[in-house]
Amino acid sequence: MMGFILADLRRFKGGALAVVVLIALSVALSVAVTLQERAVRLGSARAAEKFDLVVGAAGSETQLALSAVFLQPSPLPLMSGAVLEKLARDPRVSFAAPVGFGDSADGRPVVGTTTALVAALSPTLAEGAVFARLGEAVIGADVPMRLGAKIKPMHGAADSGGHTHVELAYTVRGRMAPTGTAWDRAILVPIRAVWQLHGMGAEAEHAHDHGDEAPDGAAAEDHDHAVHVEADAALDEHFDAETPGIPAVLVKPKTMGDAYRLRQEYRGETTLAVFPAEVLTRLYATLGDARSLLLAIAIATQAIVVAAILLVTIMHVGARRRQIGALRAFGAPRRAVFAIVWGELFLLLLAGFALGLAIGYGAARAISAALASTTAVHMPVEFARADLSLAMWFAALAVLVSIVPALSALRLSPAAALRA
Amino acid sequence: MLALDIAGLEMRFPGLDTPVLSIDKLHLAAGGGLAITGASGSGKSTLVNVVTGLERATQGSVSWGETEITRLPTGRRDAFRAAHIGLVMQDFHLFPGLSAYENVVLPVRLARRLKPAERERALHLLEITGIARPGQPIETLSRGEMQRVAVARALLSKPGVIVADEPTASLDRRIGGEVADLIVRLARAEGATLLVVTHDPALVERIGRHIVLDGGRIVEDAGKAEAA
Ligand SMILES: Nc1ncnc2c1ncn2[C@@H]1O[C@H](COP(=O)(O)OP(=O)(O)OP(=O)(O)O)[C@@H](O)[C@H]1O
Ligand SMILES: [Mg+2]
Repeated sequence: MMGFILADLRRFKGGALAVVVLIALSVALSVAVTLQERAVRLGSARAAEKFDLVVGAAGSETQLALSAVFLQPSPLPLMSGAVLEKLARDPRVSFAAPVGFGDSADGRPVVGTTTALVAALSPTLAEGAVFARLGEAVIGADVPMRLGAKIKPMHGAADSGGHTHVELAYTVRGRMAPTGTAWDRAILVPIRAVWQLHGMGAEAEHAHDHGDEAPDGAAAEDHDHAVHVEADAALDEHFDAETPGIPAVLVKPKTMGDAYRLRQEYRGETTLAVFPAEVLTRLYATLGDARSLLLAIAIATQAIVVAAILLVTIMHVGARRRQIGALRAFGAPRRAVFAIVWGELFLLLLAGFALGLAIGYGAARAISAALASTTAVHMPVEFARADLSLAMWFAALAVLVSIVPALSALRLSPAAALRA
Repeated sequence: MLALDIAGLEMRFPGLDTPVLSIDKLHLAAGGGLAITGASGSGKSTLVNVVTGLERATQGSVSWGETEITRLPTGRRDAFRAAHIGLVMQDFHLFPGLSAYENVVLPVRLARRLKPAERERALHLLEITGIARPGQPIETLSRGEMQRVAVARALLSKPGVIVADEPTASLDRRIGGEVADLIVRLARAEGATLLVVTHDPALVERIGRHIVLDGGRIVEDAGKAEAA
């Protein structure tokens, strides 16, 4: 039986191959869409869950969430440093870490923050120690640098015409364990070092012995020459009302209730508080719509392909009526003829499905890898239970579709089939 | 070997008001031979189809031995044919992609597991029909060889009846003669009842009994006495 089917398929190699490729491509499309959407959703949900609450200056919620979760370089407005001080002292907050964006090194974001955030991201470091002086840095797991290496931060990004801060080169002191988030690509440095480099805050004023007017806020960039950073100065992670402006504060509330209350309180005229996970969920609703559309297209393609296959096989069976008639005339039972016609088609559908699965999975993996290399957010390509029922549906459909030509093959009497 | 009995047989096709085949009575003894001739369109193939159960008769009965095949449902009729009737057709109806041997055993294999004895018999039949290489792909055989393979296939299940519809019509005279000889010889050797539609006078001569069809009716029945 199998031998006969294979011999038959060998005779129609070209057609069989075309059918398999056709099915494979349409299946691959749906598989890739499904897997990729899931990968992006899971990956960024995992990246977001590290940060319960983000507080920033009033502005776009989405931008605030994306900047904090994906370290997307975007010019966030600054909010008063007093907010940080207030949050740091709030009894409902287990820690509040400032994040200062804006600098980069070799295309990787240099983020000013505190040791508390390093501890939250990587409770135990992969190697080395956390920064203890202004001129020290901790790198994310994916940053290809060794301990002791020097990092020259750039203002802005190299491709957008930034310039190098010459006053300070950070020394890598430690490396975090992998987190599967954008922070794996980041270089974490003391927030005060960032402020000083940009000539912000009280420390900067002290450093200005040349008598320039005290620079304030981000407008201080022309004064780079005048800035001096004491690389060996000890950390000071105590913040007060004098604290310079910051784009965002990552907050870890003690309880869920606290989280909601804090968000409520910090939603005001000057500040904005968001749950990044919630913002992302909202974004994915849009992404989900896109997925539905793509999936609908993929399913429509499949329907067309199935219809085409049906047509091809019905014609094929028509052309093979004589063969089928002969099989029966010479003593092959009807169930054998049925099994041959059905089995041949089912085999093609199955092969196309398997090939499509492999191609779709490979494509999703490739896309995820490309995304991960640019965002460092790990996007897991994985099959879920729901896929199994989808596969079952396909199998059931394949069985049904391949039955039609098999039944039509048996409708005629052998004599009539032989005359065809 | 099985005797054939036909009674009140009529075969009509939709759209034709006269029956294509109309045979009141026909008896062929078990192990006997029957040659069927007649002009083109006289109903020879239709007769073959009805007696082999390839087609359902409109009316009347066809019996092989004790079995009235006109009353069997499709599946049982197919099974009866597989077990008792060896068929040889003008177009050989062999299956490309398979070897000569595989073609001989294909019908049995599609129905069930091949017995070792059947394997032996298939090889033996190929040998006596003059196929030197059983493993040769069927599409590389000459037409004469193809019909020999078809004859071997017809004989595999030791059928009590061999039915051939113009088995030599698509072969040249010499090769056709050889194949005809093979069919008659093997049918005798196996003791099978033989039914052959043919235009070949030499073959008709060898079989003995001979009916002529015209418009679906038997217009001549010769040599009944000499029937073997
Ligand atoms: N399925 C059918 N529908 C309608 N008419 C049919 C059908 N099958 C056969 N016929 C008619 O029945 C008649 C007998 O056909 P048959 O094939 O039995 O002739 P034949 O004697 O075998 O001819 P040949 O020597 O050419 O093979 C023909 O006139 C044919 O047109
Ligand atoms: Mg005919």
